[in-house]
Amino acid sequence: MRYKAAMLELAAAFQAGAIDGAGFVGGRSAAVDTLLRALWARAVASEERLRDGVTLLATGGYGRQELFPFSDGDLLFGLTGGGMEREVKEAIRSISQQMWDAGARFAPVTRRLSECERMDPENVEFSLALLDARHVAGDQAAGDHFLHRLRSRLFGKDRQLIERGILALTRSRHAKFGHTLFHLEPNVKDCPGGLRDAHVCRWLAQLEAGDAAGIEAQRPAPDAEFEQAVAFLSGLRCFLHLLHERDDNTLDWAAQDRAAAASVGVAREGGAERQAAPDAAYWMRIYFRNARSIDRAMRLALARGSAAEKRPKAMRGLAGRRAAVSLPEPYVVAGDRIALQPGAAHASATAADPETVLRLFAAMAASDLTLDGAIETDLAAGLARLASQMEDGASLWHRLRAILMGRNAGAALRVMHAVGLLDLLLPEFHGIDSLVIRDAYHRYTVDEHTFVAIDTLHGLGEQTGRPLDPWSSRFAQLRGELPHPELLYLAALMHDTGKGRSTGDHTVESARLAGSVLGRLELDADEAALVVTLVRHHLEMSAALRRDIFDAETIRSFAGKVQTHEALKMLTLFTYADLNAVHPDALTAWKAENLWRLYLATSTYLDHSVDEERVGTRATELVARVSATLPGSEEAVARFLEGFPERYVRTRGAEQIRTHFQMAARLGEDAVQLDFRYAPSVSELVLVSVDRASLFANVAGVLAAWGMNVVTADAFSNRHGVVVDSFRFTDSFRTLELNESERSRFVANLHDSLSGRLSVEKLLSGRRRGRPRRLEISVEPRITFNDTASTHSTLLEVVTDDTPGLLHALSLTLAAHGCNVEVALIDTEGERAIDVFYLTRDGRRLEAAEKTHLIAALTEAVASNAR
Amino acid sequence: MHKIEAMIQPSKLDAVKEALVEIGVEGMTILEARGHGRQKGHTEFYRGREYSVDLLPKVKLETVVSDELLERAIQAIATAARTGKIGDGKIFVSKVDEVIRIRNDERGETAL
Repeated sequence: MRYKAAMLELAAAFQAGAIDGAGFVGGRSAAVDTLLRALWARAVASEERLRDGVTLLATGGYGRQELFPFSDGDLLFGLTGGGMEREVKEAIRSISQQMWDAGARFAPVTRRLSECERMDPENVEFSLALLDARHVAGDQAAGDHFLHRLRSRLFGKDRQLIERGILALTRSRHAKFGHTLFHLEPNVKDCPGGLRDAHVCRWLAQLEAGDAAGIEAQRPAPDAEFEQAVAFLSGLRCFLHLLHERDDNTLDWAAQDRAAAASVGVAREGGAERQAAPDAAYWMRIYFRNARSIDRAMRLALARGSAAEKRPKAMRGLAGRRAAVSLPEPYVVAGDRIALQPGAAHASATAADPETVLRLFAAMAASDLTLDGAIETDLAAGLARLASQMEDGASLWHRLRAILMGRNAGAALRVMHAVGLLDLLLPEFHGIDSLVIRDAYHRYTVDEHTFVAIDTLHGLGEQTGRPLDPWSSRFAQLRGELPHPELLYLAALMHDTGKGRSTGDHTVESARLAGSVLGRLELDADEAALVVTLVRHHLEMSAALRRDIFDAETIRSFAGKVQTHEALKMLTLFTYADLNAVHPDALTAWKAENLWRLYLATSTYLDHSVDEERVGTRATELVARVSATLPGSEEAVARFLEGFPERYVRTRGAEQIRTHFQMAARLGEDAVQLDFRYAPSVSELVLVSVDRASLFANVAGVLAAWGMNVVTADAFSNRHGVVVDSFRFTDSFRTLELNESERSRFVANLHDSLSGRLSVEKLLSGRRRGRPRRLEISVEPRITFNDTASTHSTLLEVVTDDTPGLLHALSLTLAAHGCNVEVALIDTEGERAIDVFYLTRDGRRLEAAEKTHLIAALTEAVASNAR
Repeated sequence: MHKIEAMIQPSKLDAVKEALVEIGVEGMTILEARGHGRQKGHTEFYRGREYSVDLLPKVKLETVVSDELLERAIQAIATAARTGKIGDGKIFVSKVDEVIRIRNDERGETAL
């Protein structure tokens, strides 16, 4: 009865806040000790022979002196001598019964020492329970002997077996929870980041440090954050037991509300009573923060354990990839971890150097390496010093981009987030730290959702055996077409940050936060605008999917929001990742297919509606942006812009348009204005001139003559006949790269041929002679006309193998047939050229007979160019 | 009791669900489906590559209702799912002999 009273007292004290979780579990354990000793003393009094050779050992949680309110305790009756089974059996029966009657539920077992010493690989749990054994009652000498022999065995011969057993058990337990701690209704004991993980960490540390002799002293060095998290979870588990009135460790919705209302773990954590109880969402963040501390320790322990285990053959193939990882001093690759160079000075100095730290994470993102625990600890400790040396700006973006672009960016970002580095770089991210979305749809906290989305983007195209694989491959192709994939990852990182601040439309707040990040990272205005657009509209495509995606109006209005191909591709990929990151089954093959269809329809719409929407005379906002640094030029700018297709102004930033305007203003001095920007990968040429026949064809011809391969090109004209033709091309023979002096000759050549002083044909004939024969064309060219896309021009689409000089051949043929190119959109995908021209002839659309002639001529032009 | 199987446009799912809930149909099963009727598919070109859309995305909704509710349920679905264009879908109705609630072996309309 005294035991029951003690339990009621403990529960009352816990609920009143007089004791914490540790106080409760210790208190209950002590009460059981007292009860047990009294019962055993009574048993010995009635049977003298029990006095020697029998020890009562507390094992498992009871051994650790952690008895939760409704946990069963494990008790081991250890026999060192022979015989006595009958006497002991009777005593155990009687003690068990009395304990049960007292309300203490116990599972007793009886073992001889020799039985305990035999490790059973099928029952690792029993060996684990023995790790925490302590003598409670009975023969003290027998107890000491028993424990000494047990520990010699556990920490000696069986150590590796047990370690391996723990790792296997842990992995299968984590698998049950999908390897994530971010559950809506987590189990505070068994989930990743739960109390069981804390025990596993301690066991592994004990096994690592302990030897047969002095294991008592070998407790792992206490880590304040870890210990605090354990204390939090212990308190929470007590709370849940008392709430459910049974051994139920599920933190369900109702329990979350109750725990928040009772401020479980909060007052103690803050050190002072809070004014009002936190709401459940806020309180859950505290839970996740604590669980994450344990999860981090667990991951590090698992990584250490895996490194110690013999690596299976399949893993060895990765060695080559690892060798290529370039790590900053003083870090080295050790197995599958990044570790500190042996013998290097303590890492805390380097851990506070921003350049080194960011390079370290870039290396981690680019490989499949994990980070050594010591490094993480150093990083967390050096954070304050790191903060004082961290600089914003382009160099930070350069480093961050390297991290975002790595295949394992998600893993690197998670560690950065866990040690506080990510929040330091992007304080905007702090608002969604462990934030719970309380609905039945989301599976993860907002920060984890963000990382899963980034993982999804990087994992596109990898075969997982899911029905989604074919779609994943298709979207992977799309990713390959992005000119600036890093912007997509940056947008993904920022897309939900607004959820931490606002109650209304989080996309608005996220876009605002993204804007401030982009400012600090000093991205180009165009790039920044793209990221902000993506964040601001990141739900638009999901919304469009809920409408009829075969309806022209749905497509038109969605296209109006994305405006450019690049933004469309990014948003498509983003939507794929965002859906997939909500919960594992949220993205089905069916949804992926619909997403792809919407992408197709919108992409086609964007290509086929260019001619329709033209800049009007009322584009005041645009005029203001372009003329911002040119006071007094508003009228001239408006005149310049009038009649350009909307596509032109949407795909270019204000600064670019300003440059084109200034070039157009100089046309009086020189009728051919060229702006050439050389880059080792893709160079860019812009021509501004007054439209006339063959202009576009001539530029294409000169480029072909110089061996340049046009990747993309477009041509637009305004109402006053001023054309802006842009060409992006690669330098196939590295002429311009290796001979800097050739660059000015190249521009002079272009200028001369466009002013009619040099024959393009003559230039080309020189090139043709030296060209090696190409293989026969593999695909019949597909030449189609479309008269419905535009009200005043005919749309021509040519899809064929990409050969040097193709664009020149096509545009020359068009010019020879009297066709005027209103708009041209030239694109290359791999070996295939996709060229779209909006044509008029004498200001009208093409007639049927003209089309027939043109198809024959174009087919011949494509064929002869390939020869 | 009757089983209603309705093939509808995905974009009409929310409207149909609401209409059913309003007249008191509480349980239903939604399946993501692909198919075509007389509407057939069509071929699209994407950047020069043929892309055939022979099976169109549809949603299949299944529910079992009491005889008394049947007509209203059909009306609710038809009204909510109709755009008047080809491809709006179809509703199939069949007789159901028995319903058994697994939890407690309850049978008949009360088990719906």
